[in-house]
Amino acid sequence: MIKTDSLTKTYSSGTKALDNLTIHVKEGEVFGFLGPNGAGKSTAIKILTTLSIPTSGSAWVSGYSVLTDAVKVRHSIGYVAQETGVDYFLSGRENLVLQGRMYRMDKKDIYHRVEELLGLFDLKGSADELVSTYSGGMRRKLDIATALIHNPRILFLDEPTLGLDPHSRSSLWNYIRMLNKDLKVTIFLTTHYLDEADKLSHRIGILHKGSIKIIDTPEALKDNIKGDSVNLSLNSGVKERAISILKGNTVVKDILCEDSHVRVYVNNGSEAIPGLMKLLNEHGIEISSLTISRPTLDDVYLKYSGVSFKEGESSEGSNPWWAQWAKKGWGKNWKGGEGEWKQEGSEGSEDGKDNDSETPSPLPSPLRGEGWVRGGFSDENKDWQKWQQGSDNQDNQEWKKWMKEDAATAAEQPAGDSWEKQKEAWNTEKGKDEKDEGKNGDNKKEEKNGDNNKEEAWKKWSNASDWEKWGKGGGKG
Amino acid sequence: MIYLLSDTWFLFNKYVRITLRMPMWALFTIIQPLIWLLIFGQLFKNMASIPGFPSGRYMDFFLPGAVIMTVLFGTSWSGVSLLREINFGTVDKMLVTPVSRISIVMSRVIHSAFTVIIQCIIILIVALIFGVRLSGFGGALLSLVVVFLLAAGFSGISNGLAIWIKREEPLVVMGNMMTLPLMFFSSAMVPKNFMPEWIKIITMINPIDYAVEAIRTFYTGAVMSGAVLMEVVFLILFAVAAISWATEMFINQAE
Repeated sequence: MIKTDSLTKTYSSGTKALDNLTIHVKEGEVFGFLGPNGAGKSTAIKILTTLSIPTSGSAWVSGYSVLTDAVKVRHSIGYVAQETGVDYFLSGRENLVLQGRMYRMDKKDIYHRVEELLGLFDLKGSADELVSTYSGGMRRKLDIATALIHNPRILFLDEPTLGLDPHSRSSLWNYIRMLNKDLKVTIFLTTHYLDEADKLSHRIGILHKGSIKIIDTPEALKDNIKGDSVNLSLNSGVKERAISILKGNTVVKDILCEDSHVRVYVNNGSEAIPGLMKLLNEHGIEISSLTISRPTLDDVYLKYSGVSFKEGESSEGSNPWWAQWAKKGWGKNWKGGEGEWKQEGSEGSEDGKDNDSETPSPLPSPLRGEGWVRGGFSDENKDWQKWQQGSDNQDNQEWKKWMKEDAATAAEQPAGDSWEKQKEAWNTEKGKDEKDEGKNGDNKKEEKNGDNNKEEAWKKWSNASDWEKWGKGGGKG
Repeated sequence: MIYLLSDTWFLFNKYVRITLRMPMWALFTIIQPLIWLLIFGQLFKNMASIPGFPSGRYMDFFLPGAVIMTVLFGTSWSGVSLLREINFGTVDKMLVTPVSRISIVMSRVIHSAFTVIIQCIIILIVALIFGVRLSGFGGALLSLVVVFLLAAGFSGISNGLAIWIKREEPLVVMGNMMTLPLMFFSSAMVPKNFMPEWIKIITMINPIDYAVEAIRTFYTGAVMSGAVLMEVVFLILFAVAAISWATEMFINQAE
C-alpha cells in the first residue's frame, strides 16, 4: 500500500529530516511510526501525503508515485494532521460537506456519507454546532471523519492523540481500531507515545534521526530484548541465601537486588519461573510475591537508537500536560546499555514497594502513571516501566483477542485473503504467542484476583456504550 | 475548468459564512470606511479653497480616495487569515485533497474583494447623503469593477507575502509599508498639480494612482475615454500578476 525507496529530505536550513528512509506498509495493517519529536515522522507523512517533496528518493502510495501521480494519491488517502485542520467557525456538518466538496463528490453522496460518518463517530448530537464549541476530543474525531469523507483506503494519522486527555485518548484508540478492523482501512500512524504505538500498531517502525532503525511487531520487538526479569519479594534474612542458590542455576543470567527484593534476569521468564520457585522451595525459602516483566518499548527504543526515548527527543515541540511527569521519569536515574538497566545512585530502595503495589488499576495508562508519581515514589522511571509492564498483560490479552477475531473474520471472507496472510506474517512466531499465554497464565496464578479485576474492568472500559457516553457527555467539557 | 470554478465557489462560500459569523468584524468593516470619509473630508476641507484645486468641495475630490483607502486597508491584511489557516492546519487539510490550488488563492482573493465592494457601496450611499454628486449609476457601477481589480491585486500580494514570510507581525508591517506610501504617491488625497515632479513620476507606475484616476473619471461622468481604458487594462494586468504570483508561492510552499 505504501512504499518508500531511500527517501531523503533535507530542508533549506540544512536539517536532514529524513535519511534514506525505506519502508513498506502492507494493506490492512496499522503501521506505527515511533520516534521522539524531531525524528522526522511528520516529514515522512508530509511527503507521503503529497504535502512536501522529497530531496531524493521516491515513494508510492496505493500504487501511485507521490511525485508524478500526486492527484491520484490524494484521491486514495485521508490525512489527519497534528493540528486540527477543521474550521472553527463552521459547524461539524459544514466541515464534512466542505471536505466532500473538495474531493468533488456530488451532493447526494456527500449527504449520505456525512450522515454515516456523524453516526460512526457519535457526533450527530452536535453536528450543527460550531466547531469552536467542541472539546478537543470531538474536534479530533471530526477531523478524522472529514479525512474519511471520500472513503479512502489509507488513512494517515499524525500524532492523533497529541494533547488529548486520557479519556478521549483511549476513546480515540477504539475508533482507530474500529476503522482498521471493521472498515479495513490501512492506517499509517505516527506517535511519540510508546504505549500508543504498542497498543494500536501491527507493526512498528522505530525512527531515529530520519532513518528507520528497525521494523517489527511490537511483540517481536520486545522479544528482541534479551531476557525477562523475574522480580521476587522475599522475607528478610533469607536474601543472601536465595541469591547464592539462584546464582548456581544455569537459566539465571544476572541478579540485581535491593532490600528484600531480588530481580532475576532470565531468557524466558515464563519457562524459568516454575524451576526457580521449585528451587527456592526446596531450600525452604518462602517467596512473598513474584512478578514477571517483559521488556518495554522503551527498552527497545534504547537498544536500537542508542539513546533512551526521552533523551532522543529534540527540544522543539509542544509541552503537553504530561511533560513534567515525563521529564521527571525517563532516562534520568537509569543508564541503559543493551536493554539491561543498570542502577545509578541509590534510589533503588523503593523497588520492592513498587512491585508489591503492582495491582494495576483499570485506568488508562497515562493516568495510572501519573498516579504513581503522585504516590511519591522516588524513582518514577521504574514507575514508567512498571506502567508499561502493567498495561502489557492486559494489552496482550486484548490484543490477542483482537487478532484472533480478525483472523476469524478474515477466514470467513475470501476477500480478506491478504489480511489473513499478513496476519501470519505479523505473527511469524506463533510459539511466541503461546509463550505469552503461558506467561500471562503464570501471572494469573500469582495475582489471580488482580487479573480478574483487570479483565472485568477492561471489559467495562472497552464497552462501546461507555465510549459513546464519553463522546457525548465528556465531550463538551 | 469546471472544477476550478466549483472549487472556488465552495471555498468562497466558506469564507463568506465565516465572515458573517463574526458580527463585530462585520460591523467595523462597515463603520471604518465612513470614518475615513468623514474625518479626512473634514480635515482637508479648506484645501478646496487653494487656487488650482480641481473640484468645488474637498469631499467631492476625496470620495475616490476614500474608496481606495477602504480597498487598501481591507485587503492588505487578508494574508493574516491565510497564515492563521496554515497554522491551524486548515490549509494542509485542503492541500491533501485534489482541490485546485488556484481555487484556494482565488476564493480568498475574491472573498476579500467582495467585502471591500460592500464597504464601497456603503461609502457611496453615505457620500450621496452628504451631497456628493455622482454623474450616474453606470459610473458608480464601473467604479466597483476598478475596486474589484485593485482589491484582488493587493489581496493577492498580501497572500503571497504571507506564504513567503510565514509570520504575522512582519506581514502586517509590510502590508502597511506597501499600502500607505503608495497611497500618498497617488492623487487619492492631493490633486496631481499640487505634487512635486518626482512624486508625479512615481504615480506613473503606481496601480493605486491608476485606480484613483479611473474611479474619479467614472464619478465625474467622462466614462469611456482612452485614458480610462488604459488605466483599467493596467489594473487587470496588476491583478492577474498578483494572483499568479500568490498562486505560484502557494504551490511552491511544499519546496
